[in-house]
Amino acid sequence: MRLKTPEIYSVELSGTEDVGKTDTGDGKEKYRGLKDKRLELKKNHQKEELKKEVDLEDHKLSIKELERKYGTNIVTGLSSTQAAELLARNGPNALTPPKETPEIVKFPQADGAILCWIAYGIQYFNDKSSSLDSVYLGCVLALVVILTGIFAYYQEAKSTNIMASFSKMIPQQALVIRDSEKKTVPAEQLVVGDIVEIKGGDKIPADIRLLSTQGCKVDNSSLTGNLTPSLRTHDNPLEAENPWNKMSTSPVGTATGMVINTGDRTIIGQIASLASGVGHEKTPIAIEIEHFVHIVAGVAVSIGILFFIIAVSMKYYVLDSIIFLIGIIVANVPEGLLATVTVTLSLTAKRMAKKNCLVKNLEAVETLGSTSIICSDKTGTLTQNRMTVAHLWFDNQIFVADTSEDHSNQVFDQSSGTWASLSKIITLCNRAEFRPGQESVPIMKKVVVGDASETALLKFSEVILGDVMEIRKRNRKVAEIPFNSTNKFQLSIHETDDPSDKRFLMVMKGAPERVLEKCSTIMVNGQEQPLDDSTAEAFHTAYMELGGLGERVLGFCHLYLPADKFPETYSFDVDTVNFPTSNLCFVGLLSMIDPPRSTVPDAVTKCRSAGIKVIMVTGDHPITAKAIAKSVGIISANSETVEDIAKRLNIPVEQVSKRDAKAAVVTGMELKDMSPEQLDELLTDYSEIVFARTSPQQKLIIVEGCQRQDAVVAVTGDGVNDSPALKKADIGIAMGIAGSDAAKNAADMVLLDDNFASIVTGVEEGRLIFDNLKKTIAYTLTKNIAELCPFLIYIIAGLPLPIGTITILFIDLGTDIIPSIALAYEKAESDIMNRKPRHKKKDRLVNAPLAIYSYLHIGLMQALGAFVVYFTVYAQEGFRPSALINLRVEWEKDSVNDLEDSYGQEWTQYQRKYLEWTGYTAFFVGIMIQQIADLIIRKTRRNSIFQQGLFRNKVIWVGIASQIIIALILSYGLGSVSALNFTMLRPQYWFVAVPHAILIWVYDEVRKLFIRLYPGSWWDKNMYY
Amino acid sequence: MRRQLRSRRAPAFPYGYRYRLDDQDEVNQNYLADEEEEAEEEARVMVVHDLEEEEEEEEKEEEEEEEEEGQGQPTSNALWQKLQIVNEHLWDPEKRMSLARTGQSWSLILVIYFFFYASLAAVITLCMYTLFLTISPYMPTFTERVKPPGVMIRPFAHSLNFNFNVSEPDTWQHYVISLNGFLQGYNDSLQEEMNVDCPPGQYFIQDGNEDEDKKACQFKRSFLKNCSGLEDPTFGYSTGQPCILLKMNRIVGFRPELGDPVKVSCKVQRGDENDIRSINYYPESASFDLRYYPYYGKLTHVNYTSPLVAMHFTDVVKNQAVPVQCQLKGKGIINDVINDRFVGRVIFTLNIET
Repeated sequence: MRLKTPEIYSVELSGTEDVGKTDTGDGKEKYRGLKDKRLELKKNHQKEELKKEVDLEDHKLSIKELERKYGTNIVTGLSSTQAAELLARNGPNALTPPKETPEIVKFPQADGAILCWIAYGIQYFNDKSSSLDSVYLGCVLALVVILTGIFAYYQEAKSTNIMASFSKMIPQQALVIRDSEKKTVPAEQLVVGDIVEIKGGDKIPADIRLLSTQGCKVDNSSLTGNLTPSLRTHDNPLEAENPWNKMSTSPVGTATGMVINTGDRTIIGQIASLASGVGHEKTPIAIEIEHFVHIVAGVAVSIGILFFIIAVSMKYYVLDSIIFLIGIIVANVPEGLLATVTVTLSLTAKRMAKKNCLVKNLEAVETLGSTSIICSDKTGTLTQNRMTVAHLWFDNQIFVADTSEDHSNQVFDQSSGTWASLSKIITLCNRAEFRPGQESVPIMKKVVVGDASETALLKFSEVILGDVMEIRKRNRKVAEIPFNSTNKFQLSIHETDDPSDKRFLMVMKGAPERVLEKCSTIMVNGQEQPLDDSTAEAFHTAYMELGGLGERVLGFCHLYLPADKFPETYSFDVDTVNFPTSNLCFVGLLSMIDPPRSTVPDAVTKCRSAGIKVIMVTGDHPITAKAIAKSVGIISANSETVEDIAKRLNIPVEQVSKRDAKAAVVTGMELKDMSPEQLDELLTDYSEIVFARTSPQQKLIIVEGCQRQDAVVAVTGDGVNDSPALKKADIGIAMGIAGSDAAKNAADMVLLDDNFASIVTGVEEGRLIFDNLKKTIAYTLTKNIAELCPFLIYIIAGLPLPIGTITILFIDLGTDIIPSIALAYEKAESDIMNRKPRHKKKDRLVNAPLAIYSYLHIGLMQALGAFVVYFTVYAQEGFRPSALINLRVEWEKDSVNDLEDSYGQEWTQYQRKYLEWTGYTAFFVGIMIQQIADLIIRKTRRNSIFQQGLFRNKVIWVGIASQIIIALILSYGLGSVSALNFTMLRPQYWFVAVPHAILIWVYDEVRKLFIRLYPGSWWDKNMYY
Repeated sequence: MRRQLRSRRAPAFPYGYRYRLDDQDEVNQNYLADEEEEAEEEARVMVVHDLEEEEEEEEKEEEEEEEEEGQGQPTSNALWQKLQIVNEHLWDPEKRMSLARTGQSWSLILVIYFFFYASLAAVITLCMYTLFLTISPYMPTFTERVKPPGVMIRPFAHSLNFNFNVSEPDTWQHYVISLNGFLQGYNDSLQEEMNVDCPPGQYFIQDGNEDEDKKACQFKRSFLKNCSGLEDPTFGYSTGQPCILLKMNRIVGFRPELGDPVKVSCKVQRGDENDIRSINYYPESASFDLRYYPYYGKLTHVNYTSPLVAMHFTDVVKNQAVPVQCQLKGKGIINDVINDRFVGRVIFTLNIET
């Protein structure tokens, strides 16, 4: 199939080139084959349904049968009552939006809250006057759970809302015949059996069966992923001329049709529901967070239970032990982290939105960073999704035309006389026109009425020659044979703009071989020469070459009709063809391609250097696909496919060692015959792969294949046909401008400017956020030990409680929040785009070194520092550390109001309580001061802080300031509110922990120094997180 | 064939078994191409398998079953595999590793952590040492948390409710024992021996170095007269006229206003004022004499005995709970802190039954 002649890439003027052609007759088989493979794969039932064949028979029925079937009349239409009835029965003609249910991550404090209330309940039954402390604690914990839940939900909802506004487009109107009258109704109210009229440029509102048409063509590109308007009869409704599908646009002409399917039952609706049937995989960051929660919960619960047992065996009351358990869990669970992660992700999402990457699903922000394979659709994603003149061949030479987005730089030689003739043919033999009223719009952005190739030619000539309409006016058209698929050419006859020349000019364009057949001469350097074998050979070489580039080639010829035989008054009759259509003069070839976006090659290179494999998956023809892949660098310049090697060495394909080839071009047909193992092999063996002629289902299979390699797969696409794959991918990226709603709905991310290069930005941001989340988590985990140790010491050594549960919450949800968010603003330490994407299973967010270093190194140092503050406060107030040991029982007895301290002074219960709160505050301040140092050291993981720049991230300083200010407010502002357990701390106590903070900083600098000095050493492996 | 067999069975086998297979595998790797060798190998595998089956028949059967059904229920298989992985993680005999570390690695870690924690301990010791350098062992650095002074009563046994029946000595005997015990330190002989008789009405200020031992003023048990337990060994409990001693919490350096000693006054807290018709105070001034102040701290003021005021409730309504509030009165004394019911005051109930 791949060896077919370039004939098939040559264009038919009305653009009937289409997916179906090479697959003729096997459209259904293709799907059936898939179904079988599915069975082999033993996939679950839901996915099985995806393979449900698109079942439409209506295009084969006659109009009479149709009328019977749908109970309508093509002249009078449905009656209003009928329509209302059908509307009520079948629902509106709109796609059901996919439902999104937010997941609220539950931290163990929910259980804590319940435990607290149970504890209070027991206490209450034991002693009616028991304090409400545990009730407060329970409430606070419950509040924390609820608030973080609401917060996460709010963030999710906010980003979902952006999408909602996105999909709410201007309500579509449809012109429908009801009760024998033409009415304009909202497209949503269309029902089966309605007769609708479509004008050029309209969106087809539903699946319709064409009844009559006037030169109308339809662009099914969002459905098939291809640009070419389709107008053909085919067994497969997707590729058939009739019916037309909802969402397609009709660029030219008018048509009447009968609605045969509405809403979710349209083909588009079926694909959309196919997409929503694909289960969404958990995002890598969600997996990482879950892993982290497991670690934290594991540590918390095991320490909690261990100490519960210790406490019980130390003859503590079970109730007290439960309270300890809660304290340990609260100390261990980073309550603020969920909110922090959400904010961090949404900050990045905002930053990306500024760069035109709209992130629908917050978690997807990071996914792009861990992406290791990008499966990219071709049309509209890698390419501009518009035909553009790429090459010209005249005077035996191939000229390159500028295919950049604005066409500004046409450098080929325009002095030749041949070009003058060619340009005239291009201009005149063209039915496309600009829509009026677009004078101020740049040429390339103007809307054109006409098909893709003609549009390309029109714009091309407009750019080079100026006002095409004016030229056409001067060369009045007297006759025209439009394109049809049997002729494969288009012909028109014009008066010349030279008043002295009374001849008519006949211009023709069409499939090159057909055009050449009609020619006897060829124009070289403006001179007509007889067409001999050598020139024909040159023509064929050029044709093959351009075809080999995957371009659509058109041939152009003209003939000046002799004035004597065809006087000015001659009446041309296109039906009888009373003029010659042979012995014309061949002028040149022109080839068109949907050119790659100018930013894509660079972006692909960047992805490559970032270790990301870029795979092209397209419904387009393999040769076109390969050409585009080569031009954007998906297949790099020096790599060959097996076929290339075979061709170069002149040996059969079978003899080529597969090891030699780096690149592979695989068609849907070949893919169909592959077992999953073979696909796996293919994906691992080749670094550069292009899949061509793939169906939506096959895209899904490819994505699954990639995911089997433990790769994080990103899929980019714009069409409805891409939506299942977009959904299946770890991250689906849809195009914002060209993308269909279905694609945008299925995607996690939308590129607002359709710029593939934005993906690179996304990858960078994603990797940065992963690194920064690591830092945030390390920062957050550290203080957990400092919060946990007091409880353990309290239980074992019987010191008065150094820090209360509520105070811990004030750290977790107060002072620590802004600093941990500030770490999200940290710049990358090194070029993150030069390293490999992280391995999904090996490079965890929270790994052993991170946990160990945070818990057992910095965390412990922090705990010790905070204890020094605590002991200082107690000692200066009268309780030396030695007196504190095993003081707990006496200390906490309400009835003891003359407890002796180290100086013989006697304390009442409340005085002690107040001192205890002062201790809480002191411990809190101790942790806070050391968290400042912790924040600074967490700025980098490998580099020295001084390499990174202490002041480059201003937000860190905002964080530090916020920490200090919140602590000051808590101590001095709310110190008098007894429920909060804060007191006014003497100013000097704020500085006790400073040396420890400095020690932490120094220690970490030493750690980083050794990591940098001895990369790969034991130290590096165990201390680098 | 052999490979297939192994890969299919391997997950269901206990660790040791698989290990053996692996070993053989390595040994015989060179002969892989040899058909005979392979067949033999296969046979050996089967033999081993049989043995295994005989040895652990039941267990094996279960596993076999699991394996047989493994296709249908991958969960049990997966669980077994998971357990095996965990087991291997804990102790991997092949590489002689535990928790993915070799013995050498573990000892290195132990050494490093030992030094790390040792130096941390050193840092903490240093910190605490500096802390003690800055703190005087004789005088607390700050005393305002413990000021104003709290108040406590004796006898005290966990509760501030005095419930007793005059005619049942068992109900009040523990108060007597408690008071007797408490007053042992105030015995006249002891006070005379240890402490000095200093002039009343003025502070007993002792200049000199902080670390010099300080003398304490005598507070003799006999000062408490009827409540000393010397004349009435039951402290009035046997007659329904209980004695309750009140003491003010010690605070280093605390001095009442000069010339205005702290006084004690009790009254019914809530209810009929006349529920208590008379209270006798001992010493009769109902005050803490200035000579007992200031207090110099436990270390130097070794024999310091807190001054007391005894309240003798000579006429209290019987058979009903009477809430009593005793307050300190004097300049610089605070007795109305809402949160702290023991600063400058003490509230207790008397419920004397006859």
